Amino acid sequence: MKQERLQVLSLLPVVVIAFGLPLVLRSPTYLHIIILLYFYAYLTTSWNLVGGFAGVLPLGHAAFVGIGAYTSTVLSLQYGISPWLGMIIGGVLATIVGIIIGLPTFKMRGAYFALATIAFAEGFRVIVENIDYLGPFNLNGPRGLEISPLNVGLTNLMFNSKEPYYYIILVMLGGVLALTYLISRSKLGYYLQAGGEEPEAAMSLGVNVARCKLIAMAMSSFLTALAGTFYAQFTLYIHPKSVISLDLSFEIAFIALIGGRGSIAGPILGALLLRPVSDLSRIYFGSTLPGLHLVIFGIVLILVMIYQPRGLQEPLTRAYHKLLERLAVRPAVGV
Amino acid sequence: MKMLEVRDLVKDFGGLRAVDNLTLALDEGEILGLIGPNGAGKSTAFNCIAGVYQPTTGEIYFKGEKINNERPWNLCKSGLARTFQIVKPFASKTVLYNVVVGSFATTEKKPEAERKALDILHYLHLEDKKDVLARNLTIADRKRLEIARALATEPKLLLLDEVMAGLRPTEVDEMVRIIKDLRDKGVTLFIIEHIMRAIMAVSDRVVVIHFGQKIAEGTPQTVAADERVIKAYLGEEYGVS
Amino acid sequence: MLYLLEDTINGILMGSIYGLTALGLTLIFGVLKVINFAHGSLLMVGMYVAYWAVALTGLHPYLALILVVPVMYLFGYYLQDIVIKPIFKAEREVREPITVIIVTTGLWYILDNVTLLLFGPHYRTIQANPLRGKMLELGGMLISVPKLWGFVTALITAASIYWFLQRTRLGRAIRATSLDRDAASLMGIKQYKVYNIAFGIGTATAGIAGVTLVPFYNVFPSVGVLFDIKGFIIVVLGGLGSMGGALLGGMIVGVIESVGPQFMAATWTEAIVYGLFLLFLFVKPSGLFGVRYDW
Repeated sequence: MKQERLQVLSLLPVVVIAFGLPLVLRSPTYLHIIILLYFYAYLTTSWNLVGGFAGVLPLGHAAFVGIGAYTSTVLSLQYGISPWLGMIIGGVLATIVGIIIGLPTFKMRGAYFALATIAFAEGFRVIVENIDYLGPFNLNGPRGLEISPLNVGLTNLMFNSKEPYYYIILVMLGGVLALTYLISRSKLGYYLQAGGEEPEAAMSLGVNVARCKLIAMAMSSFLTALAGTFYAQFTLYIHPKSVISLDLSFEIAFIALIGGRGSIAGPILGALLLRPVSDLSRIYFGSTLPGLHLVIFGIVLILVMIYQPRGLQEPLTRAYHKLLERLAVRPAVGV
Repeated sequence: MKMLEVRDLVKDFGGLRAVDNLTLALDEGEILGLIGPNGAGKSTAFNCIAGVYQPTTGEIYFKGEKINNERPWNLCKSGLARTFQIVKPFASKTVLYNVVVGSFATTEKKPEAERKALDILHYLHLEDKKDVLARNLTIADRKRLEIARALATEPKLLLLDEVMAGLRPTEVDEMVRIIKDLRDKGVTLFIIEHIMRAIMAVSDRVVVIHFGQKIAEGTPQTVAADERVIKAYLGEEYGVS
Repeated sequence: MLYLLEDTINGILMGSIYGLTALGLTLIFGVLKVINFAHGSLLMVGMYVAYWAVALTGLHPYLALILVVPVMYLFGYYLQDIVIKPIFKAEREVREPITVIIVTTGLWYILDNVTLLLFGPHYRTIQANPLRGKMLELGGMLISVPKLWGFVTALITAASIYWFLQRTRLGRAIRATSLDRDAASLMGIKQYKVYNIAFGIGTATAGIAGVTLVPFYNVFPSVGVLFDIKGFIIVVLGGLGSMGGALLGGMIVGVIESVGPQFMAATWTEAIVYGLFLLFLFVKPSGLFGVRYDW
């Protein structure tokens, strides 16, 4: 059997399990945890479009989460606009911001871009934390915004049980993964990776490196903002420290880096490995050893960067491909 | 209309004048060699033409159009390609991947880009290494990959920057053969080289640069016999083979 | 009018302390060509060392310098040697070692959270120190004494580093490496040793800045974050690699923060600082005195 066929087949059980899980796992607590896991996997995969493929280091992505969350929430609370529409508007806003940040900085050293993202994210958080009104919009400062679960239904992205949220984020995650896969095989994907690795050579081959990075940035910021809306509708309460925090930005980046940026499996793998660490250490050590999971993240990150700079996915992906090769070669097995 | 025209090109870096009023031209289908001692300004001139540096003063025309401040990617789209003196392969990617990046300059679709890339690899005898990571290639193969990549963009004018440096004599001969073959395929070539027997064998005309200034121009024989060139660069014992 | 002058002066004084914190950052960038994202955390470590030195011995805060400078120097030296050097070596070929940024960001997180684990989130201050709350009266204006001490310290530190770089052999080696590391190493200068030393000096400077802050600023695990981000902003304003630029940039930020609240809410002052940063990034990324890169 051909290797590609095998690869597709190997994904089938994963898809089946993913879609069937809520039927088996009834506990809302566990579903909640898994939903957040998917949420982070979505965020890191979106981050990967610009942090992995384009080879730059965005360290302020939480700002886009915040833009998405606040835009849809304010629009729905004050003007009754459907969160789905708010989601799209938030995405567009985030895209504009992402392009504004990227436009001057993509032509410069990578450090400038990283700094600009941090500065913008923190500036944004400081502003939202300290003002109540931005023009006609009520942001409610550090107290944040609460959404009351009154209008239940798909059009309002509001549900009484966890299952619908589960499927929505699962579909979003699947979508973003599919997008990443398509891009990696497209001209944009090739150009991004080339421009990230050897910008001078890429430019001489017709690659407008800065423009490609901008496109990736625009996509990434848009997609990240969508997740912000989801989060708002899921947790029903947003405040600056939860959606625009530097911790969140860093966690997203760290997970993607540890898992392996620039690959498709890396961010998900990172999320699968690290989120449980984060959750467990918060549950068991939250009061005695606060911030323990961040220390662990930091240490793991440094070790990975020294010994496996392409992320933990590398040895695993290699083993996976070797296995596929072995299975594909033997015609006696399977079809 | 000349393929490439450089008029009174000057490039200053602070107080240092790297290129000093350089004027030259290439006809279509020509092979022009550029020689001179190290630090004479050859690569700088290339970089000005290729859009990496902005000329301080002077004009550069490509296919009749002024290209002074054009960016490298636009020049590539117009048909100007170049290789780098210190090769810059996409080291973590395969040979095929490297060339496909070049092929995408002429097409939007990956299958077509791959097909074109494979053709080029076949032409340069690199196809059996198509899945090798670029960082694992020998220096000779890396140089060929560099040319393959640039060729994939289907250029009209190709700037080759010391593609023979570090090659063994047999590899140099092979490279000379490839260059002559490229010209037969319709590519105009502008070559910087230090290996005398190669560049003298392959060029239609040669330009000699010293301290950023052109000190001689003509056929390889004329240039080799020029006294100033001998004093500055070639040495007394040199004779064109 | 007098208040404006008073605010401006206090702003310049505080700004010089900001500049001091940015000094190490710009030095490390100038030599290693990387931005040390953990710089704020190193400052925080320096503050804690100074705090404990004073809390345990009851001595004058500035005497803690005797302990802080060597400790922080060695800390920085070995941090670079053990953690960052392997990355540099692995990325020799790469034009811009982004991985180093990632690693220093990891260090930031580790340092901040280990400190949180060890000492808890409480805000600490040295209540009974001779500088706290002291004001100097000058022509009707009240000038903050601890900030004045900080100003003097900043100038002395900057001058000392300048002298060191210009007049000593080691200093010249450092400058050579920062100009062209390959050429310098071909001349027998041990590149990584220079890196270690530069990192050590940069970290020690962060420690000195910490000492100047301890008399009047709260000490807590995430105090470094604020200074880290301000440090980046200042270093971009002043120009990466320029020490004078770091001090000047710091003073600009200090004055904005000090004078701003007279005309608008404090939040907007901060927003202006961020806005100025983004403006410079768009318009003049090399800063006031920075080196222009031919990109």
